Amino acid sequence: MKPVLVPTTDVNSETGIVVEWHVAEGASVDHGQVIAEVETSKALLDIVATDGGIIHQAIASRTVFELTKPIAYLFDGVPELEAFVRQQRLTEEKHGPTRSDATASEPARQRAAGLGIDLETIHVSGLITVAHVEAAARAAEIPTGALPEPLEAQPGTQRIAIVGAGLGATQVLDILAAREDRIAVAIVDDDIGLWARDVMGVPVVGGRDRLLDLFERGAFDSVVVSISTSVPARTQLRELCEKNDIPLENAIDPTARIAANVQIGTGNVICAFCHFGVGVRVGDNNFISAYNSFDHHSVLGSDISTGPGCLTSGLVAIGDRVRLGTGIFVEPHVEIGDDAQVASGSILVGSVPAGHAVKRRVVTTTVVPIRRSMSPLED
Amino acid sequence: MIFARALRHSLRYALETNDRVILLGEDIADPYGGAFKITQGLSTDFPERVRTTPISEAAITGIASGLALAGYRPIVEIMFGDFLGLCFDQIINHISKYEAMYNGGVTCPVIIRSPSGGGRGYGPTHSQSLEKHFIGIPHLRTVAASLYHDTRQVFDALLKQTSPVLYVEHKLLYPLHVFDRDDKRLGIATVNYVGSPGEMPTLSIDLVPREQSVATVVAYGYQAEVARRVIERLALESELFAELLVPAQIAPLDWKPIEESVAATGALVVVEEGTARWSWGSEIAAEIGSRLFGSLRHPITLVSSRADVIPSSRELEAEVLISEDRIEQALRAVAR
Repeated sequence: MKPVLVPTTDVNSETGIVVEWHVAEGASVDHGQVIAEVETSKALLDIVATDGGIIHQAIASRTVFELTKPIAYLFDGVPELEAFVRQQRLTEEKHGPTRSDATASEPARQRAAGLGIDLETIHVSGLITVAHVEAAARAAEIPTGALPEPLEAQPGTQRIAIVGAGLGATQVLDILAAREDRIAVAIVDDDIGLWARDVMGVPVVGGRDRLLDLFERGAFDSVVVSISTSVPARTQLRELCEKNDIPLENAIDPTARIAANVQIGTGNVICAFCHFGVGVRVGDNNFISAYNSFDHHSVLGSDISTGPGCLTSGLVAIGDRVRLGTGIFVEPHVEIGDDAQVASGSILVGSVPAGHAVKRRVVTTTVVPIRRSMSPLED
Repeated sequence: MIFARALRHSLRYALETNDRVILLGEDIADPYGGAFKITQGLSTDFPERVRTTPISEAAITGIASGLALAGYRPIVEIMFGDFLGLCFDQIINHISKYEAMYNGGVTCPVIIRSPSGGGRGYGPTHSQSLEKHFIGIPHLRTVAASLYHDTRQVFDALLKQTSPVLYVEHKLLYPLHVFDRDDKRLGIATVNYVGSPGEMPTLSIDLVPREQSVATVVAYGYQAEVARRVIERLALESELFAELLVPAQIAPLDWKPIEESVAATGALVVVEEGTARWSWGSEIAAEIGSRLFGSLRHPITLVSSRADVIPSSRELEAEVLISEDRIEQALRAVAR
């Protein structure tokens, strides 16, 4: 094995960049053959093989390297090269994976020192910030064994685990608070930063692994998915529950008006003042915001999410995973296909094919700062 | 690869791929190869199309104008940006006017390259950034070289269109390494193209997601690199985060990426090496101030050089020219 060094007459440069390799890894090169082009701060150099042999490129193209290190090694044969590469890989494994290129800000370093967090354990590409360090500290403070337990419940009440600790959870908790037969005992969320906190007195007990674990232990009976903003997340979480035989539960606000012959599946969140007309059929796992009205004999699929104030006439059909904005009116017999998205303020007089979006230019009133002379407070 | 070399490669590529391209300028032929050696080797390989001219900027630009009207693609080198004053009449009264004056019947696609900027102690008449006097001229595009835009792509784009172009190259860019566009990361920062379709790319350089930034910094040319260093240092030292936007074409300007960024960060700092007042920054402040009236957290801040003559003494020059300190002060004031 013979190392190939970059001949440096240039004292100003400590590092160089391999601009281009002229020979492939494992190629046979002759003595004096140009093998690579290297750029230093002062010059562009053609690197020639100092001997003949089979070449191993020690530095990748376009990387900066120290000029004191060999750029390549020459071997008498392929087996010698392979043995060398194997040995190098072993050395690397022994010393652990090469450190990520992440850098921490000074405040993050100080925070990490204060909290006793090892920056090497934080894996982000780019800059490590105080926020990253604090999230890691929260995770470290809460070993899985120390996560809070679900709340206790009176025998005979339906114990519910809420999935998602965002603002949707507060809406679901508010709905459940009005029900004596149902109680939220736990919340799960994949954001470690929220673990061991609580939402309106209900503890965030961990992520989705803990959900499965707690269900196996019989710590709750059913699940309500509180996420309203992401249809894919709702769908994925419903599938997770179905796969693990965890039942979904409806959370229906007592102010909702549900007419005769309405069929409602499971896992639906139905907020205040909603109206379901005679003969309406609703699938599973929908999030219906406040003041929605689905008039008689309309049909809703599953995994739908709506904003407040969506009103349909009778005989409307809404497919699966449809996302409705705020304040939408739908004419009779309109069909909205699966995965369709409808912008706020739309008035649908015709059907929307599956996978299509309804766009609408939303006109807002011009907003200007109040001029002092105009202020109604200073009459 | 350093910028000077990347630029030379781009000019060589233009000569190789388009036989209507002609390079004109003072002392650009070998063995001298131009005051900054950008054209070195090109006259040896393309002796008919890389021509050294007499010392008359007005004549060089006038000849280029005639060549462009006759269907050639002249690329002129004005040895120092300070000498652009000598071409002003050709640019403002002829080159930029022909196409509109003849109602599209002719085009005059002259490209004028010019090394500009200070920081090397070259004194009052070899250090200026005079592009502010050209950016308002109708039908003229002003483009600034940067370390982050691929020079070959930029020249490709300029040669595909027919408006006249002023291309300013800050002298301090020449020895610096260019950003490799295959790499999405610049040190610890992420680089993204945020320009509008069909426009020259504007780049955004971010250390954290845009929503966490307290300001948008807009800069071009060498000052973009200075601003990038300041932003990186402030992020590392005190977690003061800003998003840097670097347009390639500085006039006319693609407003959309700037507007979108400022709408998210709520504050704007414009950095330029030209003299203070009646500047590129003033125009950006007027436009963005009008577009985002009411949603700015802080008045728009302009950072530029003092409106004064640039001294030859390095110490005095540093007092007049924009500096890392002034950019830092502006960002700290916005973050407060």
